[in-house]
Amino acid sequence: MTISALRQGGNPRIQLPCLAKMERVIVSMQDPDMGIKMRNQRLLITIIPHAMTGDALVSPFPAESLHLGNLIVKHGYIYPLKDPRNLVLRPDESPYRFQTPYFWTSSKWPATELDYGESFPIPIGSGTAQENYNQLHKRINHTWDFVVMQAREQLRAAKQRRKGDRIVIECQEQAYWLVNRPLPGALNLMEHGPERRNCHTSRVQLVSVYAGPSGFTACFSSPSLYRYIKFNEQYVPHDPVMSGCLPSNPWITDDTTYWAMNVPTVTTPTKLRVERWGFNFSELINDLLGRAQLLEFLKKEFSAENLSFWEACEELRYGEQARITEIVDSIYQQFLAPGATRWVNIDSKTMERTLEGIKTPHRYVMDDAQMHIYMLMKKDSYPRFLKSELYKNLLAEAIIPPETKKRVFPFMRKQRHSSPSPALLLPLGEQEAKAEDKSKGPPTSAPVPEEES
Amino acid sequence: MVKEECKALLDALNKVTACYRHMVLTIGGTSDSQNLREELKKTRQKAQELAVANRNKLTTMLKDKTVSKEDRAEFERLWVIFSTCLEILEIDMRRALELGQEFTLNVPKRHLIQTGMSGGTSGVAARAMSVQNMKYEADHNIDVVDLKDLENEINQVGEMMYEMEMKVSVPQWTVEAKQDPGAELKSTISVGASSIGMISVEENKSFCDISKVLAGIIFTAVLIIAIVLAICVVKLS
Repeated sequence: MTISALRQGGNPRIQLPCLAKMERVIVSMQDPDMGIKMRNQRLLITIIPHAMTGDALVSPFPAESLHLGNLIVKHGYIYPLKDPRNLVLRPDESPYRFQTPYFWTSSKWPATELDYGESFPIPIGSGTAQENYNQLHKRINHTWDFVVMQAREQLRAAKQRRKGDRIVIECQEQAYWLVNRPLPGALNLMEHGPERRNCHTSRVQLVSVYAGPSGFTACFSSPSLYRYIKFNEQYVPHDPVMSGCLPSNPWITDDTTYWAMNVPTVTTPTKLRVERWGFNFSELINDLLGRAQLLEFLKKEFSAENLSFWEACEELRYGEQARITEIVDSIYQQFLAPGATRWVNIDSKTMERTLEGIKTPHRYVMDDAQMHIYMLMKKDSYPRFLKSELYKNLLAEAIIPPETKKRVFPFMRKQRHSSPSPALLLPLGEQEAKAEDKSKGPPTSAPVPEEES
Repeated sequence: MVKEECKALLDALNKVTACYRHMVLTIGGTSDSQNLREELKKTRQKAQELAVANRNKLTTMLKDKTVSKEDRAEFERLWVIFSTCLEILEIDMRRALELGQEFTLNVPKRHLIQTGMSGGTSGVAARAMSVQNMKYEADHNIDVVDLKDLENEINQVGEMMYEMEMKVSVPQWTVEAKQDPGAELKSTISVGASSIGMISVEENKSFCDISKVLAGIIFTAVLIIAIVLAICVVKLS
């Protein structure tokens, strides 16, 4: 008996998110009012319905729809009728048809060797097919009789169907095997790199499809792509590789001021750092200085216990296993008990759940409450913090480190940017080359008057 | 003879499994209907009965110590075929469950995939049930009602396979295939040739050329006949 993962009830396989999305696209394309226009395919005397042309599929947004359509065809949800081995979407008169749901590509139902064996009465090629056939015969020798019997029966059962349906079934099966057992040299979709196994945990939403009134419309409205671009735009000035780091790059000039100024517990933070606190709440709370400033602010607003509670929960989550009951107890006494000194304001449901959980304390028992308080701080206190006087003062007082001084005598000058960042090299081009020759830094630093010693 | 009986039972199970797979192929496509779901239900129940009968027969034969060595080898081969058949049946039943849940009929906004299938599967079902014509007696929401039964039956089949594995130890790899490679190709080449020829032919023709060519030929033929008749008339008058 072959060991099948499905039967043991082990980890149930999940459909790859991209495949689930493609399935939704296909289903929405079936709408008779808003979907694709269908034609009949004529083969001598048989007429088979539900064929569509490539250009009907991609209009009216050719560029995006073509790419999306190509992906769909490569994954086997639509197959070409004229040139079945070539799984590409051509935006012309070439006919295509939808694949039946049984043959949709799926990570839940991998194509088995047995099924492959049964499909062999249909010749796929000549030379390679013979080799594959012999290899298959060796691999599943013990079930070969079954394969033969089953193949015969399936052909006999197929005779009970109409001619048109028989042809459709054969085409479907051929398309399925072209996707799942690709010919040598063809793209193999089922190949996963080692890092791709965690795809079911990713939440990247790249495509959402809207069926427009005049046929199939696909818009790449990709919120996460947009956010990714925004993130990069926002952080580029803060990145020491892309935008140069201000006193000087320690790796080049051997001057460690940059590191000294950006230590977590420095007294005066740099301007870039304070600006970053304004980007999002996690930047603020994960930075030690920022957290301290936030605490000051919250004290003024009389909600400092929120931050203390959050810190205590972090200690619980990442702390020692032996101290867990002790920490849970102290959190309860300080923050959650009815008459506690620093009672935090959590809603009743979460409080109930947490109190239940405290009876069997473990590392993550405070998660719900911690998340609640985190969101409270983020939505409520954080915007006020950004508008507050405290933050504005911090911004004003933050220092912009000056560039390292230039020495008078040429032999004393240390090259500040001996090999400038490659990202800066391309747009500035010749200027860079000239600047290097004169052993001066590139003119990208903040405008600070230089002192000559 | 017991061997023939076993073989006949196994052939029957094989036939029903093949028909079941044919029907599962159609779920979700345009020829999906309540009738199809009823056919699926009846077919798989028949398959289960046959499976139980097969199992009982084969287990008694395998437990019997008095069978000869060749007979025993034959029974083991049949056992391996039977267990593979049951695996295929279980996989198809699970797929039927999944597809049935995804593609429920009677939901107004839910459209079936236009796969190009237009005919029904009643012929296949009739072949599976070994009757002349199928009778349909179920209610109009059998697609939803049946799913629960299907789940239970899948569990039953799973348990049966587990029991079989535990009670009878026949290592699969010791069984030798009786058919050589290529045997089924030779026998079915006549069956498949017509439809395969169709596929290669269709690759060379575009959408509507055939009808135009036929029309042209007929027109030319009629024209020639008319000219010939006219010449005859002229000659004879």
